[in-house]
Amino acid sequence: MKKILPITNAIIAIASGVLVLLGYFFPAVRGIQSILIGWAIILAAFALLLGIFNLVMVHWKKAGSEEPGSVYSIVLLISLILTMIIVSISGPTGSWSLWVFNTFQVPVEISLLAVLAVILVYAGARLLSRRPKWNTILFLVTVLVVLLGSVPLFFFGEITPLNVVRGWLAQVPAVAGARGLLLGVALGTVATGLRILIGVDRPYGG
Amino acid sequence: MEQVLSLINSYLGLLFILLCLGLILSFIFSDRTREKLNLRSIQAFSHFRREVDLAVEAGKRLHISLGRGNINDLQGGAAFIGLTILDRCARAASNSDRPPVTTSGDGVVTILSQDTLQSTYRSLATEQRYDPTNARLTGLTPLAYAAGAMPAIHDEHVSANILAGHFGTEVALLTEAGERSRSLTVAGSDSIPAQAVLYATTDEALLGEELYAAGAYLGAGTAHTASLRMQDILRWVLVVAIVIGAILKLLGILS
Repeated sequence: MKKILPITNAIIAIASGVLVLLGYFFPAVRGIQSILIGWAIILAAFALLLGIFNLVMVHWKKAGSEEPGSVYSIVLLISLILTMIIVSISGPTGSWSLWVFNTFQVPVEISLLAVLAVILVYAGARLLSRRPKWNTILFLVTVLVVLLGSVPLFFFGEITPLNVVRGWLAQVPAVAGARGLLLGVALGTVATGLRILIGVDRPYGG
Repeated sequence: MEQVLSLINSYLGLLFILLCLGLILSFIFSDRTREKLNLRSIQAFSHFRREVDLAVEAGKRLHISLGRGNINDLQGGAAFIGLTILDRCARAASNSDRPPVTTSGDGVVTILSQDTLQSTYRSLATEQRYDPTNARLTGLTPLAYAAGAMPAIHDEHVSANILAGHFGTEVALLTEAGERSRSLTVAGSDSIPAQAVLYATTDEALLGEELYAAGAYLGAGTAHTASLRMQDILRWVLVVAIVIGAILKLLGILS
């Protein structure tokens, strides 16, 4: 049984993968493709529930321990239970659910975004001391030009030459670089998909 | 003629995939007899390998972050690389007192990471080491995911973090947590904004296709080196095609 199960998993995964891929090119397979994708969406929703169960398990374990941050796990568990009760009663778009979302989730995420902005500025400033190379200087100069060219400056207003340089940087070198990176990413994604399709990589315990 | 061109156009994607598959399979068979493939040095991987060894000796933990990509779309590709890295790390740290911990922001990726850990331990005949709470879902929105993964870096005696998956700019929160806990952070993503942030916030950023080379650099097998060679060849083909296209457009032959 221990040997049969991984092989069965692999056969199901490879066959499903091949059928979904062929569905993009041959209309005859499109029916099976849409059924398989439908099943995948249902399974993903079920996986989400299992993921939340995993989250509860992790924090239940932490809350029971004497670790310094265990109080946060208790807060998380209480919040999770309260939110689930409120959303179950009020519905996902009900007024109480929206109140929970707008009062807790949105402000906390916005605060984290603010922290993120500070971290990025700090990282930019630290970069030169950490990696004193010509490409670091180029990176920082570009960041500065793009920033100064994007907003009107105090006393000076909009500086047209900086605006023009920013436009050129954003439309020519940045797009060229991004396309180069994306081509590499696309080739890597194709290679990863093919390795799974031929059953060499089996992240599903096969 | 137009019908032939339209037929080729509709099956171009399939032809490309078959070409990739053919190249990978031919390299897998040709590399079987080859002793070792010379790969260019990527500092991030050599530092990470060293850090894995040190973590095992010092009884510290490795943290693998698989990002918040959904495997039902393109973002899943990077998470699969993260799973390969997780497998390699779990094998390398099989003697360690503290097994690796993974964090992800998608239910399916969490289950796959649990499955990867379990099958790796099973293949090493150390299944008793498997603990499902070592593969965690930390949050479902980008910032919730980052906020949930930060305590894993801070509080769990982590000596090295590898961030491999789909992230956005929120990845800076994770690299900052790594910096504060003085652990090494090697990071790569399929997203361009995340790569820009990683370039600025970490010493060991994996840019572009470097992330997808992880399996080959961490010794995951011939298929990984074969697919790396396929990527190298097709990259040159694409470069030549783009240059020829640009020249033809410059000459006014292409509209």
